[in-house]
Amino acid sequence: MIQLPSNDFPVTLAFPPQGHWTQPHLALPCLKAWLQASGYGDVQQMDLSVEAFDHFLTAESLTRAAAKVQQRLPLARFDGDRLPLGQMRAWRAAAESAASARSIIGRVESAKAILRGQDHPLDSDRGFWDPDRYVPAVRTLYHGLRLVSAAHYPSELTPHNFTMSYSNDSSEDVLAATLDEQQNPFIEFYREQVMPRLLERKPRLLGLSVLYGSQLIPALTLARMVKAALPDCHITMGGGFLAYIGDKVMSAPGMAECFDSMVFHEGERPLLMLCEALRLGEPLHDVGSLAWWDRADPEHPVSVKNMAAHPIKLDDAPAPDLDGLPMDKYFSPQVVIPYDVNRGCYYGECTFCTLPTVIGPGYRTRSSETIARHVVELRDRYESTHFNFITDCMPPGMIKELPEQLIEAEAGITWWADARIEPKAYDAEGARRLYEAGCRKLLFGFESATKRILKMMMKGQSLKSVVEVARNCTDANISVTFYAMVGFPTETREEARATLKFIEEHADIIREVSLQTFHIDEVAKTYKQPEQFGIRVLDAPGDLALYHDYEADVGMTQEEAAEMFEEMMASFRRNLAIFSGDNIFYFMQKSHYFLHLAAGETPQGFSGRCADRTSARAEREADPELTVSEGLVTVPLGFSHSDAVRTLGDPLARAARPDFLTGRYVRDADRVAEETLPPLDPKQRFLLYDPENGEFVELRDGGVRVLAALREHGTLGALVAAQVRAGASPAAIDRLEQFAAELHRLGVLRAAASTSPSTPVLASARG
Amino acid sequence: MNQNKDQRDDVENEEASEESGDTSLAAGGEALDLEGLDLTVETVEERISPSETNVFDK
Repeated sequence: MIQLPSNDFPVTLAFPPQGHWTQPHLALPCLKAWLQASGYGDVQQMDLSVEAFDHFLTAESLTRAAAKVQQRLPLARFDGDRLPLGQMRAWRAAAESAASARSIIGRVESAKAILRGQDHPLDSDRGFWDPDRYVPAVRTLYHGLRLVSAAHYPSELTPHNFTMSYSNDSSEDVLAATLDEQQNPFIEFYREQVMPRLLERKPRLLGLSVLYGSQLIPALTLARMVKAALPDCHITMGGGFLAYIGDKVMSAPGMAECFDSMVFHEGERPLLMLCEALRLGEPLHDVGSLAWWDRADPEHPVSVKNMAAHPIKLDDAPAPDLDGLPMDKYFSPQVVIPYDVNRGCYYGECTFCTLPTVIGPGYRTRSSETIARHVVELRDRYESTHFNFITDCMPPGMIKELPEQLIEAEAGITWWADARIEPKAYDAEGARRLYEAGCRKLLFGFESATKRILKMMMKGQSLKSVVEVARNCTDANISVTFYAMVGFPTETREEARATLKFIEEHADIIREVSLQTFHIDEVAKTYKQPEQFGIRVLDAPGDLALYHDYEADVGMTQEEAAEMFEEMMASFRRNLAIFSGDNIFYFMQKSHYFLHLAAGETPQGFSGRCADRTSARAEREADPELTVSEGLVTVPLGFSHSDAVRTLGDPLARAARPDFLTGRYVRDADRVAEETLPPLDPKQRFLLYDPENGEFVELRDGGVRVLAALREHGTLGALVAAQVRAGASPAAIDRLEQFAAELHRLGVLRAAASTSPSTPVLASARG
Repeated sequence: MNQNKDQRDDVENEEASEESGDTSLAAGGEALDLEGLDLTVETVEERISPSETNVFDK
């Protein structure tokens, strides 16, 4: 093995925005560990996604964003006699910014502190564990990102996605997006926050990890800037998303201006070979799994693709190395360490699954002994006992062995992982041992309750075994999440509703559902053998197109599947406790519910408290002590905010935006939506933003008058008394109290005591 | 142009609108026309998109 002086070949690995913000991603720590174990001692890793979130969500950045919104989207610009669909999103952004910007700027730092557990020295007193402080903090951060998005309208950055008006399907669009200062928020972020560090470091190699479509434009934006500033730095890209579209990217004109090479599939061996070739000044032809531009003629780079490298023997790979990641910036009070127990899927038959294409060929695993040893090392090194085992699923043998090894090693950890229904492994005793070994949550690929669909999917599981496994886990206090799919080819509405019914009938053993709509990408079996699934795949425009529309003679259309998604999700919101009301934020922030389980909460206890919380809110009444929420902001509007949000939520309107999952546009969607969805007529409305709750509410003139009166009188009781004295009828008082009760439920009115919640219900298990 | 000022103006304007005219009637002890006022409260439950429900992914 080579041993290089630490400053001989500086490597920087970066994870570009946008990925989830609660915990580190695994790819860079694996690559860093491998390079260092191979002698490359100077490997820097940067999570630019969480750095960007942290940077945008500061009072200073949000103040700048608010100023930009005022400049780009002044509310007065929309005072016409109609608000057409084409202007509705911009108007909504302008209205919400006007109502919320100042409050968000004032609260953003404390909101971040709450999510990070930095708001109180005593763990049990931290706001993270108290839903009445946690949920408003999450909302504040979400609204902060809306402000950032409005400043870069029509781009949208959320904790879960980043989309622009540019389509990921087209290299021309993608490359143009990397240069658009107005819409691309990352240009300024990189220029101010990242480039100075890279210019000082001068890495010889910059590796960019692109797992998600949402990262494509931000990754190329950075690559282009580094290429211009550091022409001697070799820029390579890799990661799951590029495993799908890498060949297309490497064939697209203009891409050679941004980066130098691309690694396909597993990165460890190719990246090491690339470092070696660059360090020794050798040609790149022998670097396995690498596509690169031969720049022999600098004016006409030629794309070259090498032979695939052999996958590594996973059990020989070192433990991931998280050194250098900004641990204090993740939006969680405790770091959840990602760890890859295996790669690939031992089952590998599901017809919808394309992960083998992303991960690369073959199934490989670490031994249970290695996993236990690594876990203990990582636990001690990063002082965290929380793990997210990254795996498609664990084979039955490992499900039996791993708990024994973890218990024997006295790992003392808690963990969660994806899983496959394996009734023999997840029997009552197996589940009990898993819990004993720290397992607190498992996410199973359930997909459908229809046997016909399961057969087409080749899931190889029965509904009986699904229930059995979920019940055994629940009985062992392991929380169960189901992945479910809507819109698999030929699936009917009735079949989708049967899946919904099945899940809800088993709500006592299924705590969460990760529902997805079905998509066809070019590596899927459904794309390659469409006739087998009764569909016709349509051509997709765009030289980077990955996802395709399809037509089916039987079952739901794509649009109907999207509607069914809404129907199912609405039902889950009513019938699954963790999805009810604003408890949904626990589900949406990766690992946050798990951290409650890790802290000693049981799935049943957590669900029960979520349900209690939702019903307690619904039961709020017109308490005489109610006062107007402190800091409530009211903005007069010329149109109805709720009408706009409803219209924009219409599937037709949503199709005019890049798809959530695929980042692509539905053809002609904007034209069809504009023709179908009527513009809004002017209405006098008032948008209220309650900073204590972080929620928007819309009132009419009468409601605002009552609020003003209530503010003057101090409490609802005083206002009621005054109205009675002035001769108001019992019916009028009843109407006033109903109005007040509704605003109380929404948080706009508060009982004096509720500013300091007396029952932090979800925190009770922590003592 | 001072954009922050514009925003403050918006908020101040609406604050002023609350404190002026009809809205002060009740504060002066007169009855609100509770039966005539439109007390509709509208909220919109945010739609949860597929990408936000996929804990495996993002």
